[in-house]
Amino acid sequence: METLQLAGQLIVESGGEIFRVEETITRMGTAFGLQDVQAFAVPSGMFISYRLSDGNVETAVKRLRSGSTDLSRVDAVNGVSRRVEAGELTQRQAQAVLEEIRGAWPGLRFPTGIAAAGLCAAGFSLLFGGGWMEFLIAGAVAALWQMWSALLSGTRVNGMVLTILGGMVSALLPTAVKFALPALGTEAVIAGALMPLLPGLTMTNAVQDTVRGDVMAGLSHGLQALFTACAAAGGALLSAALFRVLTGGGL
Amino acid sequence: MALELLLTALGAFLGTLGFAVLVRAPKRAWIPASLIGMGAYGVFWILTTIGLSEAASIFCGSLCGSLAALVCARHMKMIGTVFLMLSIVSFVPGLGLYRCMHHLGDGATIQGANEGVRAMITIAMIVFGQGAGNFLYRSLLKR
Repeated sequence: METLQLAGQLIVESGGEIFRVEETITRMGTAFGLQDVQAFAVPSGMFISYRLSDGNVETAVKRLRSGSTDLSRVDAVNGVSRRVEAGELTQRQAQAVLEEIRGAWPGLRFPTGIAAAGLCAAGFSLLFGGGWMEFLIAGAVAALWQMWSALLSGTRVNGMVLTILGGMVSALLPTAVKFALPALGTEAVIAGALMPLLPGLTMTNAVQDTVRGDVMAGLSHGLQALFTACAAAGGALLSAALFRVLTGGGL
Repeated sequence: MALELLLTALGAFLGTLGFAVLVRAPKRAWIPASLIGMGAYGVFWILTTIGLSEAASIFCGSLCGSLAALVCARHMKMIGTVFLMLSIVSFVPGLGLYRCMHHLGDGATIQGANEGVRAMITIAMIVFGQGAGNFLYRSLLKR
C-alpha cells in the first residue's frame, strides 16, 4: 500500500494528471500480484483499494497537497511504473527507487530558475511584437520576480497570493522603467513577463483528464487554471490602478 | 516578412525552452519540445498571414502541435504531458489577458470585455485543438 500511495502522491504533487495517478497505481498494484486493484484520485486526495490473496480487502485514503511543478519527477515515477510492470523491479526495489526520487530529487536550482524565467519572458515578448529592448526588459523583470518568488516560497505565503504579486510586479516594473525609457513597448514586456505565471500545465492536464473521460478532474483542473490566470491578470490590474493613483493618471 | 517570421520563430523557441526548464521537464525533452512549440506557433503564424481567422489558426496550430507532441513522446518513451504542454504554451493568451485587465482598469468595460472574450476563445481553441489532436492520435496513429 505504501508504495502505491507514494507513487500516486509523487505524481499529483509534481503536477501530473489524475488519470496517470489512477493508471499508475492500478498497473503497479496488479504487477505486485494484488487483485481487483482500484484507485480513485482527485487533485486533493486519493483512495486505493485491493484484494489480498487471502480474500481480505485493504483500503486507504491519502490527503494530498499540491507541490511545485516537476515534470521530470512525474516522468521518473512513470518510468518506475513501467519497470514494475515489466517485472524489472520488485515491490521493495520500487519503494526504494520512489523514496530516492522523493528524497534526493535536486529540483530547480536557484540560478537556473531565474535564467529560465528570464528566457521564457524574453522569448514571449518577441512573440507579442516586442523588439530587443522589450526582450531584455521582459527577461529582467521575470528573472527578478522568479528570484523574489523563490525567496518567498520559503515562507508561508499562499500560492495564489504569489501569483497575484507576480502579476503586480510584472506590470509595475515595466511601467516604472517606461519613465526612463519612453520608447519602451510596455504591452509586450508585461505580457511576456506574465507568461511564466500562466497555467499552461494545469490547462493541459484539464484537457488530458477530460479526454480520458474524467470530467470531474478535468473541471477541477480547468477551474484551477482559470483562477490562476485571473490571479495573474488581476495582479496586473491592481498594479495599473496603483500606478494611476500614484501618478495621477500620468501614464 | 522573413525577418518577422524569424523573430517569431526565435521568440516561440526561446519562450518554450524557458518554460520547459521552469516546469522541470526532463533535459532530453527541452530541445525537441521547444522545436514542436516553435512549429505549432509557426503553423498559427502562417495561417493567420494567409488570412485564416485567429481562432481557426490557433485550433490548427494546437492540433498540429498536439499530434507532433504525442508522436514525439511515444518515440522518446516519455510522458505525453511534457510535450503536449510545451506545444501549446506559446498560444496561452498572456497579451489578451493583460489587455483585458488594462482596459477594465481604464474603465473601458466594452474593450475589456471584448479582449476577455477573445482570450477565452483562444483558450477554447487551444483546448479543442489539443482534444482533437489527442483523439486523432489515439484513433489513427497509435498502434
